[in-house]
Parts: sequence; C-alpha cells; structure tokens
Amino acid sequence: MCKNCSKSDLALLDPVLEEFAGDNHALVAILQRAQEIYGHLPCDVIYRIAEKRGLSPAKVMGVATFYSQFRLKPVGKNLILLCKGTACHVNGADSIAKALKDELGISDGETTADGLFTLNEVACLGCCSLSPVMMINETTYGSLTPEKAKEIVRSIKAEGERQ
Amino acid sequence: MRVVVGEGSCGIAAGALAVHRALEENGCEVGITGCIGMCYLEPIVDLYGDDGALAARLVKVGEADAPRIAQAAKSGDVTGLGDLLITGEDRSFLEKQTRIALRNCGIIDPESIESYRSAGGYEAISKILREGMTGEDVIGEIRTSGLAGRGGAGFPTWFKWNAARNSKGGEKFLVCNADEGDPGAFMDRAVIESDPHSLIEGMLIAAYAIGAEKAFVYVRAEYPLAIVRLEKAIAQAEKANLLGADILGSGFSCSLRIKAGAGAFVCGEETALIESLEGNRGMPRLKPPFPAEKGFDGKPSNINNVETFANVAWIIRNGGAAFAAMGTETSKGTKVFALTGKIRRGGLVEIPMGLTLRDVIFDIGGGIRDGKKFKAVQMGGPSGGCIPESLLDTLIDYKALGATGAIMGSGGMVVMDESTCMVNMARFFLDFTAKESCGKCVHCRIGTKRLHETLVRITEGKGREGDVELLEELCRGIKDGALCGLGQTAPNPVLTTIRYFRDEYDAHIRAKRCPAGECAALRTYSIDSGKCVGCTACAKKCPAGAIAGDLKKPHVIDESKCVKCGECVKACRFGAVSVK
Amino acid sequence: MVTLTIDDVKVEAEEGSSILAAAAKAGIEIPNLCHLKELAPYGACGVCVVEAEGVPKLLRACATKVAEGMVIKTASERALKARKLAMELMMGDHDGDCLGPCKLKCPAHTDCQKYVKEIAEGRYADAVATIKEVFPLPASIGRVCPHPCENACRRRLVEAPISIAHLKAFAADKVRADGNVKPAAHAPPTGRKVGIVGGGPAGLSAAYRLSLLGHEVTVFDQMPEMGGMLRYGIPEYRLPKAVLKAETDAIAAEGVKFVNNFKIGRDATLEKLRGEFDAVIVANGAWRSVPMRIPGEDLKGVWGGIDFLRAVVNGEKPGLGRRVAVVGGGNTAMDACRTAVRLGAEEVYVLYRRTRDEMPAEKIEIAEAEEEGVKFRFLCSPAGIAGDDGRVSGVELQMMELGEPDARGRRRPVPLEGKTEMMRLDTVIIAVGQQNDNDGFEMLAKTGRGTIAAGEDFATAADGVFVCGDAAGRGAGIAIEAIAEANEAAKAVDAYLKGGKYEPAPCVVSEREVTRDDFADREKIERCRMPVRPAEERRRDFKEVNLGLDEESARKEAARCLECGCHDYADCRLIRYAKKLDTDCGRLRGEFHPGFVETKLVHIERNQRKCITCNLCVRVCEEKARKGVLGLVGRGFTTVVKPEFDDPSIPDFCRSCRLCVDACPTGALRLLSSSNG
Repeated sequence: MCKNCSKSDLALLDPVLEEFAGDNHALVAILQRAQEIYGHLPCDVIYRIAEKRGLSPAKVMGVATFYSQFRLKPVGKNLILLCKGTACHVNGADSIAKALKDELGISDGETTADGLFTLNEVACLGCCSLSPVMMINETTYGSLTPEKAKEIVRSIKAEGERQ
Repeated sequence: MRVVVGEGSCGIAAGALAVHRALEENGCEVGITGCIGMCYLEPIVDLYGDDGALAARLVKVGEADAPRIAQAAKSGDVTGLGDLLITGEDRSFLEKQTRIALRNCGIIDPESIESYRSAGGYEAISKILREGMTGEDVIGEIRTSGLAGRGGAGFPTWFKWNAARNSKGGEKFLVCNADEGDPGAFMDRAVIESDPHSLIEGMLIAAYAIGAEKAFVYVRAEYPLAIVRLEKAIAQAEKANLLGADILGSGFSCSLRIKAGAGAFVCGEETALIESLEGNRGMPRLKPPFPAEKGFDGKPSNINNVETFANVAWIIRNGGAAFAAMGTETSKGTKVFALTGKIRRGGLVEIPMGLTLRDVIFDIGGGIRDGKKFKAVQMGGPSGGCIPESLLDTLIDYKALGATGAIMGSGGMVVMDESTCMVNMARFFLDFTAKESCGKCVHCRIGTKRLHETLVRITEGKGREGDVELLEELCRGIKDGALCGLGQTAPNPVLTTIRYFRDEYDAHIRAKRCPAGECAALRTYSIDSGKCVGCTACAKKCPAGAIAGDLKKPHVIDESKCVKCGECVKACRFGAVSVK
Repeated sequence: MVTLTIDDVKVEAEEGSSILAAAAKAGIEIPNLCHLKELAPYGACGVCVVEAEGVPKLLRACATKVAEGMVIKTASERALKARKLAMELMMGDHDGDCLGPCKLKCPAHTDCQKYVKEIAEGRYADAVATIKEVFPLPASIGRVCPHPCENACRRRLVEAPISIAHLKAFAADKVRADGNVKPAAHAPPTGRKVGIVGGGPAGLSAAYRLSLLGHEVTVFDQMPEMGGMLRYGIPEYRLPKAVLKAETDAIAAEGVKFVNNFKIGRDATLEKLRGEFDAVIVANGAWRSVPMRIPGEDLKGVWGGIDFLRAVVNGEKPGLGRRVAVVGGGNTAMDACRTAVRLGAEEVYVLYRRTRDEMPAEKIEIAEAEEEGVKFRFLCSPAGIAGDDGRVSGVELQMMELGEPDARGRRRPVPLEGKTEMMRLDTVIIAVGQQNDNDGFEMLAKTGRGTIAAGEDFATAADGVFVCGDAAGRGAGIAIEAIAEANEAAKAVDAYLKGGKYEPAPCVVSEREVTRDDFADREKIERCRMPVRPAEERRRDFKEVNLGLDEESARKEAARCLECGCHDYADCRLIRYAKKLDTDCGRLRGEFHPGFVETKLVHIERNQRKCITCNLCVRVCEEKARKGVLGLVGRGFTTVVKPEFDDPSIPDFCRSCRLCVDACPTGALRLLSSSNG
C-alpha cells in the first residue's frame, strides 16, 4: 500500500475532519464517515486522516484493520452480510454460506468479477429469531434456505442487469 | 380502530414495512411500535379499540391481508380476521412473562417521546429532581433493588455507581455498553429499537447518581435502526429539556452522545470499550486501574449495559424493594432472554429470576420444534456454556447457572436439538473467539487458535487420543493466564461440552463418528441397491468421481474418493442415497 | 516504602513500583518478555505471572503494584505452569529457525554458519577460533569428517550444499600457514589434575577443553604418537600425519601433557592412574577389528581392516600379493582398498553384501576408489576363506539378494540358496566393524555390546572415572560424535571436580521445515570443486589426494551460505526462557501467524515470522522515539506488526534509532550490517 496508489477526492473529507477537529477521540468515527463517503478506506484517505489528525499512518491503519466494519478494498454494489451467529449456526448458516458461494463463485470477503456482490460473513446481525439470516445492503432476509438465498441473489442480479 | 405494526428489526426483516405500506395504501392510518418479542409470529399488526385497549393481535400478516385488515379497522369488526388472530397458546408466550426492562416494548411508539411519557416515562427522573433526591439516595434505592449488571458478569450495579461517585477527579463519564456482540443475543437491540427513552432515562438517573455530565451510548454499527431511533429520541429529549444543560430547571446537566462501534466483540469488555471510545484499537487495558478510577479520557467512568439501564427508571418509580421482591436470594428482579435456535416459539422473554430453564424453554418457548428431542441450551454465548437436559431444572440465578459451567450471560439462550453436534458447537464458538481475540495476550491470541485447531481436527475425523485432555489443559491454562474477560471465558464452551457431552467427543475421536450427523467429514454415504435404478444422476453430479455403475444398474460409492459433499443425495430422485 | 515478601525474602520497595521491579531489586528474576521499565506495563506475554497469597487470580508482576504485606511466590506450581504454557504457546507460534541445520545436525553443534561467514569475510583466524570453541583439530576433522552438517545444509534445496568441511580445512591450513592463530582464553589454574586415557579425537578434545578450564591434564596413549584413529586408522593420503601432528602439537602448546607408549594394564593399572589424578577419562576407542566368524579367518593374509591400516602407518610392509579383496562397505573399507592400491596390489576388490546404494561409505570415497581402479562386487559375502599351505588362496562367495528392510530401513541381504562362487585371492581384508579392546579396563562395568557402561553424566561405576568416545556406550562412530561426547564429558568432569552436578544442556530451538519452493527465487551458484590429484598419479603414492581450496574459491564458496540460523540465538530472551522453563517447543505448534520478511525501514530487517507480538517495538517507537513508525495491524491470531505503506519517506521518518531492535526480545528485528557503527 502507498499513499499514491489511489486518487480519491480528498476534499470530500474536509468537512468531516473539520467537524471532529476538536475531538481527540474521534478516529473511529472519522473512519466510519470516510467509509460512508468513499465506500471503503483508500490509502490516500488513510494518509490524509493521519496527517490531519497528527497521527502516524501506522496508527490509523491499526485502527482501520482492527474493526470488522472497515474495508480497505472497494466492495461490490451489493454487500451481502451473511450472519454466522449462534442461532444461525444452529439453524444451518453453513449451508446458506455454501449456497451463496456456489451461486456467486466467491468466498468470504471476496467480490464477484462483475463487481455486483461482495460476500462478508459476520458474527451476528441480531435477528436470531429469523435465523438463518442475511443482510444485503440495508435489507434483512430471514428464514433462509439454500434455495431461497440463491433466489434472492439471482433476482438482485436480474434487476441489476435490467438497469 | 388504531392500527399498529410491530417494526423492530425482526418484524421488518419478516416484511413489516411492506405490510405497513399496504395498509396505508388501503387507507389506514398506521402507527408503529417496536419489538413485541414474539419474533416467530412476525409481522405482527395490533388493532387497538377506541378505549385504547388491544382489541386484536394479528400475526404472520402478509401484504395481501391489508385490504381486509383496513376494512376491519374501519368497521371495528374483526370477525373476518379469524385466521390471522393470535391463538391462545401463542398468547401465553407473553402472559407467562413479567416485563420490566421490556415494559414498553411492543406497546408504545418508539419514535415518540409523548408515547413514552404517556406510559409514565421520565417520571422517575422528574421525581428525583423535583424531590431533590441525592446521588446517595438514588444509589441506595438501586442497592435495595439488588440490580446487578445485565451484561453478563452480574456485578452489583450500586457498587459500581458508588465507586464512580466516590472517585476523585472532576469530570466523570457515563457509558452505556450497547455493543451487543454476543452472537445469539438481541435484547439490547430490541430495547433501543422499541423503547429508547427508557434507556435515556435510566442513563440520566445514573449520571445524576455518580455525578457525570457527559454520557455516551456505544452501539454496534450493525444496529442501524437502533441508532436511528436513539438519535431521534435524544433529539426529542433535548428539546424537552430532559437532556442538555439545566435539566428541568434543576441545575443538573447531562449530554448524551452516540458512538457507533465498528465491529469487535472484545469491545464488550469495558476497558476495550473505553479504548474504542477513545478512537483506538479495542484492546483491553490492564486492571487496575478500574474504569471507576481511570476510564474514558483517564477520568472516572461508569459503564453499564442497556438492560441494566432499562430497569433503572422502573426501580425509582416503584421502589427498590418491589424489584427485590422478585427473584432469588442472590439474583433479584427479572432478566431478559433472547430465546432462539431449535425452539418452537422464539423471541424475547423477560421473566423473574428463579424460574427454571425448563420453565422458559418448555412453558414459554413451547419446547423443541419439528418433534425433535432437546439436547442442550447454550447460555452466555462465546463466554458461556452448554447446559444439558439433566440440568434443565437449574434456577435462573447467577450462582446456580455459574455452577453448571455456563453463565447467566447477557441473555442469549440458544436451544439445540439432537441434530446439533456439540463438538461442532464448541468449534463454532472457538472459531469466533479466535477471530475476535484482540491479539494482545498470548494465552488468548494463540491459545484459542490452538483450541480451535484441535476442535477442527476432531470434527474432521482426525482427532487423536489425548485431544480431549489437551483441550482441557489448554482451557484451564487460558482461563488462568488470559488478560481480559474474553480470553478468560473463551474456554467455557469447550469445557462445558466436554463436561456434559464427553461421549460425543469420544465418538468423533475413537469411532470417527458424529452422533448428531452434523460433521460432514464423518458422514458416510451409501447407495441402496434395492432403490437405485441406475439413472446415473448422482454419478454425473459427484465432483470427486466417487460414484461408479452402469446405466440402469445399481451404482456404488467409493468411500475412499468421497468428499462428503452430499450432492448425490440431492441428485437422487429415488431416495436411494443414504447418509450415516 | 512498602515491605513485602517475595519467595520468602522480605523486600522493601518503593510505593507504586511493580512486583517485577521489587523482585529485580531483591535479585529475584521473574521472566518476562513484553516489559521494559521505561514503558507503561502492557501485560501481553503472560510469562511474568506470580501468585499472591490470598489473591485467587494469578498476577502479572509487570503490571501489579506492590502493597504492604503482600506475600508473593514467583515460582509456585501454578505460576510455573501458567508461565510454561505461555512459553509453549509462544514457541508454538514462533517460526524462529533458531539454528541452521548445519549446527543443529553437527553432533558437536559446531557453529558452522558462524565460521563459514567468517571465512566469507576473510576473517580466517576468527573462523578457526570459532571451530576451536568446539574442538581443537579443525584441519584434521575438516579432512576426514563425513560432515552431517553438509548433508543437512539447506543450500542443497537451491543447487548443492555448502562445502563446509573443505572450508574448515582451508581456514585451518591458512591460519596455520600464516601463523596467526588466535590464542584461546584459559581459566585460572584450579590445581586439579585430570588423566585421560587415549589420545584420539575424544581424548584430545576433552583434554583441550579441561585444560582451558584451568585443570592440569595429562593424556596417556599406547601408540608412539598422538591422534588415535585419526593417525592410525586414516591413511596419509586423506590426512597427512604432518597436519595432524601440527594440531596435536598445538594442543600440547596449550599446556596439555602427552605421555605416549603407555598402555593401561601393561604400564599401569587404571586404579593406579585414578589414584594419581583427581579424575580420569577413559577414551581409548575401539581398536579391535570385528571378525566375521567364518572358516579360514586365521589364515595368513587375512587382515582386520583397522589392523591393516595401522600396520601400514607403522611402516610395516604387508605382502599383499596380486589380488586383494576388502570386505565391507564403510569408510574403513574404502581406506583399506585404496591403501592396498597404493601398496601395489594389481587387482583390488571390494566385496559388499548389499548394493552401492546401501554403502555407508561416503560417495566421494567410493568414486575416488573406483577412479583408482578398485572394483566393486555387490550382493556377495564371504562364506569362508580358502587356504593353501596356511595362506589365503581365495574366498567362497555366497551370493545375496535384498530382502525386507531392517529396523533402520536398509534392506536386509538374504543369501540366495545354492548360489556360491569361488574367488581367487591373495589377501582378504575384513573391514566390517570395530570393537573395544577392554584389556586393562576390567574394573569398569560393560554394556551388552562390550563397551564401557556409563550414565548420562559419563560417569562409570568407578568414582571419578568417566568414559567417552568410541569406548563408551553406543560404540564406534565418526570422529565428530566422539568429540561431541568428549566435550560433554569434559563438562561433567569439570562439574565433578568443582563439586557440582552435570546437567546436559537442553538444545531448545524452533526449527523450520523448508522445501525447494522456499528457495525458488535464489540464484543458483555452483558449489566449489575440491581440486584433486589425477587418479593415475595419486594411486602410486600416499601424498594427499586433495590439493586444498584456494582463497578466492573458498570465500566464494562461503558466500553461498544462506545464513539460516537466527542472528539472535545467543541473546534471544525467548529461547533463554524456553530453556530455563524446559519448554517443549513443538508441543503446541499449529498454524503460524502470517510471516514475512521486509526491509522497508532500510537499515532494519523485520522478520514477522519470529515476532511474538509483544508489541515492544511498536511501543518504544511510539512512547520513546515518538515516531509511531510501527503499528499493529489486524486482529486476533493474524495480528502483525507493520510499518504501513510503501511510503518512500518512511526511511527518513524512521531514522533507524535502533530502539525497536534493542527492545525486541527475540530475533524479529535486526540491524542490517550496512549501518553498523
């Protein structure tokens, strides 16, 4: 990684940095906002944050890689969060994971070649009563079966192709 | 009639928003409420009569039901909705509960401060400020109530408040831990989504008691709806002069801010949470100093969990003694559980301490679904353990549950039936803790990894004689040597499954057999030559080329080549492939 | 001030100081790996845990402040157990690769990597000093050792191993020729006297070692000159007597007394000798040829292998006749057949009951023997020796085939029923093994195989009498094995003389498994070739076959070394505690955390494979250097230390203050030599 490998519009970050300028404890919040802006955390953005906050890039990187919310690479158009919580585990989350992997041809943390889907297995979405569960973008899908999961992904794909 | 749709995350995931829209399209004025707790019946629509009482509760409602619901709401005649009406049996799910923390959940509109106020909300803080109760008075009341930390550890709440109150150093902080990271638990999410003001009020009271003027709620980023509703509630409370400077003209000031977590289970540990609040990697600090002396920003801080705070206003209003009247000698009041897994009626359950596990799982939860047999209940998530059938009469009580090797925990109660492999269950949790370990101390970072590797080996049929003893040795060592609560409790799922399900471990290791039939690598597939018609469908699907046979003649599986993927079972239309 | 008790000692400590600091002040060392007193306590390694009376949890000594009346046990059973588990967990995830396989596989653990590097740098005297830290005969051993070091050398996974043995001989010859031997350090005289029976590699090594330790040592040998088998069992053309003599003379120059032509049992009893010395080491070797127990072995013209070689050294002229056969496939057989060629035998055969592949002799010896005209006959074994008038006339050969593998995995030769052959011969040399000559050592207990019995501490049943080398327990082996034992026996004798107890030092290391793939990107550099005299010429005389490496090729060869072993092994705190706590390094080994080696900091090499994530480097960089160049990245088991980004400004930013390198408790950080000084 290097600060020159990405060319982000850093001006978008300025209001965020300004907003938190007086708060010494805001690194996590700034990274969250940066990710909202850029979709992930590009290196130049991390550098910029480090510079403006008077921190070493290593420190910012340390925080960015500690939390599972942060992504250093761009994600697909549709981010699938597949719940692997206890209730989902007991109710067959592994078979859902396999179905999604078969359907999309990617494994955990990867993005499809067409950039349409990123699959992320997560610890718990807190929708245990509807397990197994996955969340695609803001929508939660519950009581999944492998077939149902594949169907959902296919319909999103079809929708994407229509557009 | 007033139409109210249950719109907690579970309800929404089950389709509540679509039902809401459809009802509106049919001319209804639709109100919302939070989580009713009967997640297994979502989406739920409540019809309230003009007297304000619940007239009908409709369950598993679909968009298509909207027209006739709208019709009924207009006419007040619900006879045409008989198929949607909740059954008496399902009603008992709620009737057997005692709701304090969840008192408003599924009843009030979470997005309306008025709705909260109409249910007696903010009376407790008003009373304190009006009557001039001191911090000691408040702490005394909490002490009388016997309230203990609901996040899992069960530490007496008054003691922590008192320590923070007595701690020297000007500025103090109050923090609500809403980083509900325990997989299988969603009580805190439900409380914030359904009754955010009760959290705010509880926190206000605590802040007043310890002398903090700044408070934070540390919420998981995975709970977007909870964050939105809490933001709204904070704005409403500020507007109503219930937050901010000079609250209700009392001279007491307290601000409240939301800090979104960024996804790290270890941040449930209070010192890690503080690190995270400060914008650092969430790595636990050494204790002492405890947060009550040196917490956020090096200042005295007090941290409690959502459910703990949700009880506080009730206690002040009803008196500590009323709270303490419920429960057992060592555990007072009620506790909320998220009942999930292979349970018939899953959802949120709040019961007085002192009921048995059997009461919750069988009386309230209706037992195991699909006619299967109960095997175990997992309590306390990655820090807890699995409790077997023989101990179902254990009281829900910090001490009694602790004696089983599990813990009360934050309230996750995942029920398992005979098809759940307990070794795999332990593997599942250690996979979780090994990934969630902050990486600081050796025992946790490497120890949980080695535990996980050993468990993987066993579930893959490569277990060796002595593996159970190795697991036990590592577990004891990690409990003794790990730096924080995450590491110290990480071995619990392994220890309890060994303690109660040793035979399953032995079956995996010695007989290379998974009694629950869950561990794929230990399954054996065979073709019943009587049923096989030789259609070749399985052979074509087999990715390993392990199935051989001529057309129209029975096929056979070469076990040495089989990769246990199960494709043949799915491919066979004659039920000829069996799995053992 | 606070008063507390640590390990039953009353200790005064400043208020606010840690248990670790209080213990250190009282001279009690509590192991720890992630603490530096200048930094805030961190508590990661879990090695410093101690037990405090009345406290249910173990306490981290680095992070727990002293309190009045505290009663601390730093080494209670529970604390030790937790400490050891922490060590085992760390070692199980520490891809330290502590010692190169050369050093590890050398029976005496000679630091090959070190002296090879010294040779590459042209520091020959240092190289010889390094070798002499282990044994005093580098030129001799360099010529004769079958070099287990080379056989293990990882360079073989690139193209061919480093020519370690030749380099050793080169350095020793060069230093001797240049006359710049570095003097060895002697301990002050102890006034204790040690007698050593046997002046071979074992006896001489033990003598040298004990002499450096300050003891007065006398070596007794039955032969006219020192050197033992190196002199009387290895032919001149492999190890010139002059080379050996120079090295034994050097030992004498260090103060060791030599007494030759002295045989126990003939010139004095062992008991008498014991009476004259404070301790005695028996290192008299295995000087008897093992007979085959076949008919005709008593005929004239039948020799034992080592008896034959010794006779030649002693100047005897054995009449070999025209046709000579040597029975056996080991190095002694090779020495015998090549000696027979040089004595003028017209046809020399080697008879071996297995095939070429199973021959224990070194490949180069076999090849050179063939070049010199020796003929090999495999899968045959003499069933009897025929005679004519009391003198050998031939052997009856039983033909063999290879059967099932034996315990060592070598396929067992099985006689082919009825297939025999007569071979006409004038001399038969039987080189199938050696055994002890125990005459004069009757007072010592023997093992089942006729060697002298001793415990792990080399002590025989007789008080103050020790045994090592070929004469001891496991019997005849290669010289460097005898030397390895001699060094340990010397330590045992030293401990005995000082009233202490000898404890074998555990060799605690973290070893890495490597494959060709690990070296796929290495440039291939041809291994040096030892120049030798042409076969036609050398078969006529006893002059040394090898001509020796020239300086240029030696340095080039040495520079091929991959430097596998960790630079920090000597100072590594991790290994020090692993040894101290008797850690089983492999028990809890599993997947390793992500490993990589990088030099982004230019002057500092960071080897993440060795990192134990103590975070000291990160903390000193942040808290002391105020730089924050390094940081933790990731979470859980995959947490690593990284200087983030390939930022070209990082080196300037870093400025190589070395604080991180100094803080690293193990070999994960290393200052590259370019910035030395």
